[in-house]
Amino acid sequence: MNKTYFVLIFILFALGLGALFLPETQHNKERSPRELFLAMNNPSRFVTTDQVAKKIIEADPTLFLIDTRPFDQYESYSLPGAVNIPLEKLLDTNGLIFSEWMDYLDIEGVNAVFFSNSDITADQVWVICSRQGIDNLYVMKGGLNYWVETILKPEKPVQSAPSEDFALYDFRKGASQFFGAGTISIEAEVISEPVPRMRKKKKTVASGGC
Amino acid sequence: MGPLITQGIINPEWNFVIALVIGIAFGYILEASGFSSSRKIAGVFYGYDFTVLRVFMTAVVVAMVGLVYFNYMGWIDLSLIFILPTFMKSVIVGGVLMGFGFVLGGYCPGTSFTGIVIGKLDALFFTGGLLIGVFIFSSIFPWIEAIYYGGEMGAVTVTEALGISRGLFTFLFVIASLLAFIFTSLIQSKQKKTDL
Repeated sequence: MNKTYFVLIFILFALGLGALFLPETQHNKERSPRELFLAMNNPSRFVTTDQVAKKIIEADPTLFLIDTRPFDQYESYSLPGAVNIPLEKLLDTNGLIFSEWMDYLDIEGVNAVFFSNSDITADQVWVICSRQGIDNLYVMKGGLNYWVETILKPEKPVQSAPSEDFALYDFRKGASQFFGAGTISIEAEVISEPVPRMRKKKKTVASGGC
Repeated sequence: MGPLITQGIINPEWNFVIALVIGIAFGYILEASGFSSSRKIAGVFYGYDFTVLRVFMTAVVVAMVGLVYFNYMGWIDLSLIFILPTFMKSVIVGGVLMGFGFVLGGYCPGTSFTGIVIGKLDALFFTGGLLIGVFIFSSIFPWIEAIYYGGEMGAVTVTEALGISRGLFTFLFVIASLLAFIFTSLIQSKQKKTDL
């Protein structure tokens, strides 16, 4: 064999051996502090419980719910179709998001919605994930507490409330049945107050005059 | 043309121009490597010429090692590279058919065109057969669709499927190809020289 071949074989072997010891490179897609600050001050990341409920009912394929609470809480109750990514298990020892989570979080065309009991934990997860350059992330405003308050046990608006509130209440009542919050008896609206009757005015005989 | 067009760095109209330039370069290298000779290509199956194996293995190893180092240096992000999805059934069936065609005809599609360019008659016949094959395949496609899309594994790489690190796989592949180079050289040195 030609001498050049030996040199080439040696170079290739050395490079191959080097590849064996190369550390796994994590490509830095992190957002700059300025970008993150602006994103954090932008409330558009928050979605309401009503929006989430509507999307679940419509089986919106772009919705991806992520429960950020610990596993035991997730197991006892969570939203339908939600995946559990607890805050304390989000990062690996290098301070980066576990690659198995990244497969869930970084899906094109899918909007991931984080939720926790309130919206604090979910928001923390949102900040960590946004910092690592993941887009299309949202937080359910008020968390599960607000979910119970608004969707599962909606409160009837006061009589003087605008009609939009009543429409919203109707939606919430329907949603609460959809999510199986017991059977809510639909009470017939019994009007207890006596209906004021209009009495015919007695024709009065013109008195006097001409 | 990779990220240059999708990122808007160059105009999409340049696609064909770039394709033409790369095509000419590819054809030139194939011809220069001796891939326009069907006897040279078929030699790898009969054990008298291993140029095909060496050229392809060199290309794979250089690209593999290069990409691993480029990824390490941060010049390229391997996680963003497009990976063709794997269809296991069609890969096996297609691979066997392609192998038969390779041994019988002495060309693969690309090299047959290189053969035509330098005026090889067998390459011309081979390309005729290739076009007939394309026609037959298109005609019977509805019947073989299940095989064509069978065994889908998604965009999976060998390292993911085996659960080993990229560096280890690169090292093993380099060793395997170096052994293949040395082994085939030894076989070839024992053959009597034939003029191809």
